[in-house]
Amino acid sequence: MTDFTIILRSLRARLFSTVVTAITVAVAVGLMLVLLSMSDAGRQAFNQGTGNMHLLVSRDASPMVAILNGVFYANPPQRPIMWEKYQEIAANPLLEWAIPTQQGDSYEGFPVLATLPEFFTKFTPNENEPWKLREGRFIRGAKDPLPAGEKGPDRPDAYAYEVVLGSAAAKGTGLKVGDEIFLTHGINASRQLGAPQEEAPHVHKDFSYRVVGILMPTGSAHDRALFTHLDGAWVLHAHDRRKDADESVTKTTLADIEPGDRKITGIYLRVLTRAGAQGSASLPVVYDQLRRDSSITVAQPKQQIDTLFRIVGNIDSIFVALAAAVMLSSGIGIMLAMYNSMNERRRQVAVLRVLGCSRGRVFGLILTESAMIGVIGAVAGAGLAVVGGFLVAGVLKEQIGLSVTPVFSAPAIMTVVLATVALAAVAGVIPAILAYRTPVANNLRPIG
Amino acid sequence: MSAAAPDVPALDISGLRFRYPGAEGNGWVVDVRGLRLDRGEQVLLTGGSGVGKSTLLYLIAGLMDPVEGRVNVAGRHVHALHGHQRDLYRGRTVGMIFQTFNLLHGFSALENVMAAMMFSEIPAKEHRAKAEGLLRHLGIERMDAEPTRLSVGQQQRVAVARAMACDPVLVLADEPTASLDPENAAGAMELIQGVCREKGAALLCVSHDPSMAGRFERRETFLGLRAG
Repeated sequence: MTDFTIILRSLRARLFSTVVTAITVAVAVGLMLVLLSMSDAGRQAFNQGTGNMHLLVSRDASPMVAILNGVFYANPPQRPIMWEKYQEIAANPLLEWAIPTQQGDSYEGFPVLATLPEFFTKFTPNENEPWKLREGRFIRGAKDPLPAGEKGPDRPDAYAYEVVLGSAAAKGTGLKVGDEIFLTHGINASRQLGAPQEEAPHVHKDFSYRVVGILMPTGSAHDRALFTHLDGAWVLHAHDRRKDADESVTKTTLADIEPGDRKITGIYLRVLTRAGAQGSASLPVVYDQLRRDSSITVAQPKQQIDTLFRIVGNIDSIFVALAAAVMLSSGIGIMLAMYNSMNERRRQVAVLRVLGCSRGRVFGLILTESAMIGVIGAVAGAGLAVVGGFLVAGVLKEQIGLSVTPVFSAPAIMTVVLATVALAAVAGVIPAILAYRTPVANNLRPIG
Repeated sequence: MSAAAPDVPALDISGLRFRYPGAEGNGWVVDVRGLRLDRGEQVLLTGGSGVGKSTLLYLIAGLMDPVEGRVNVAGRHVHALHGHQRDLYRGRTVGMIFQTFNLLHGFSALENVMAAMMFSEIPAKEHRAKAEGLLRHLGIERMDAEPTRLSVGQQQRVAVARAMACDPVLVLADEPTASLDPENAAGAMELIQGVCREKGAALLCVSHDPSMAGRFERRETFLGLRAG
């Protein structure tokens, strides 16, 4: 029989109140830990998608907009870069690679990124994590033959009308390898082959695309995209141009592409680096060179994401403050539960006093009991946060392709748990003072 | 302190007076000229309801402070001890038995007895064996049962075992039979007196039940103790 036994018996005697109060604390602790962990995880998630790219070139209004549009598909960039400009930039000997991208089309609300096969062979969405296919293959180049055994259209330009689906796009559209689709100009709902045309305005209905691959999730915004060959995108828009000039035009091919059709909206750049290194001494040089060109916007993804998080960080602080307020209210909950129990436990306190228990020890018993509720709640809350955090992360990745891996650092958990226990102990001070002051004689008399 | 010299009385009260704060005009609630109980002596203190019998017991136990006078238990001036020292002294030298037993709910019979030893100098490793021995001696077999699951008579025995757990010099019994029928009351008093005799503890039993008189060689009335 120890003080701990007395505390446990007391908690058990008020089991409902104990459990409800501990749950309140657990929810508050869980919320606080999830917010703290998600704050770091959010930054990590945004870092995913830029992968091994050092710079992004576009003609957006600012580097931040360039990143949001070019990497996170916030909106299709409005101002194009002509192919000649791309060639000029790509010719820089300090570059390891320069991959052109074009946005503007969509399928069922999912953005389409037209690019070159190098997008899958050189650019990686996460550092040191190359693209992986769940099914099928990547888009191929103009000179790459149809893989042996694959059934497909027997045309030399068939490569230009192949599409690879990001994992979330595949899940969201329900498409599978071999399906044929029409893309829509702009971010509007487009449709699958055979759907009524009047429901999908601006559909590139003269060109069907064949799904050739589905990607594994990357945890980046690219999971929501569909990837096609740049040549196909140019043909589509050359066709629109030609039809605008002559409504009788029914067919456009690669041969019909004019220099003015060769437009892109972004360039993913990587500066030459030593093998295995991510940073490069040439990066500031290239960055400076490109910035001198006033016709383009140059963004350093990591720098822009840091800027973004400096802005978002304030919101983080508000959320953490709200979680702290919830924790405080759970502390008040403990105090009320303990305070309300004092009426029924005055006799117990009086009996303990008769048996030789000092006022100080009674004070300590109540304070420890209050802290125990904090311990139970904090431990349960930490468990709740870990399980809940990963469940939420799973749902986010599954539903929107955003890979948010909760980061639970041991010091953060310990700090929150200790703060909770301290808060719970403080919440027990007033009930403990009441117990300390309990008049013994009055509470030993027979009831009634 | 059980180990006090045998010639030191278990209880020695002189000029003890008490009234509640702010009730100066209402006279003394407790006004005891003198009362002495030798080691092992058993005294019945009678008086009507509300005359201050229970208050006198709380004063003796050091749970209340007198306005004037002195209470020595086993030679120690109880009210000269303060705070933790007084609580410790009470736990070691005084056992209390109440009309409604005042057992701790949520605790087993065994834990109720062990709780009394928690605040003593008895080594913790001896608590269980000692409590089990006492309960067994008093005929309690269901030691793990909570008091509410025991009969009234068994609860009384648990209360007695708890009062005797620290081998007190003095046992204070406050109307111990008031909630029992005459037959059980006789049995309970037999038990309390027997155990006190066996353990060598003095017993001061307050009661307004006239049928108790025959059980005690020494009887005092509350009025008879008054200083005036």
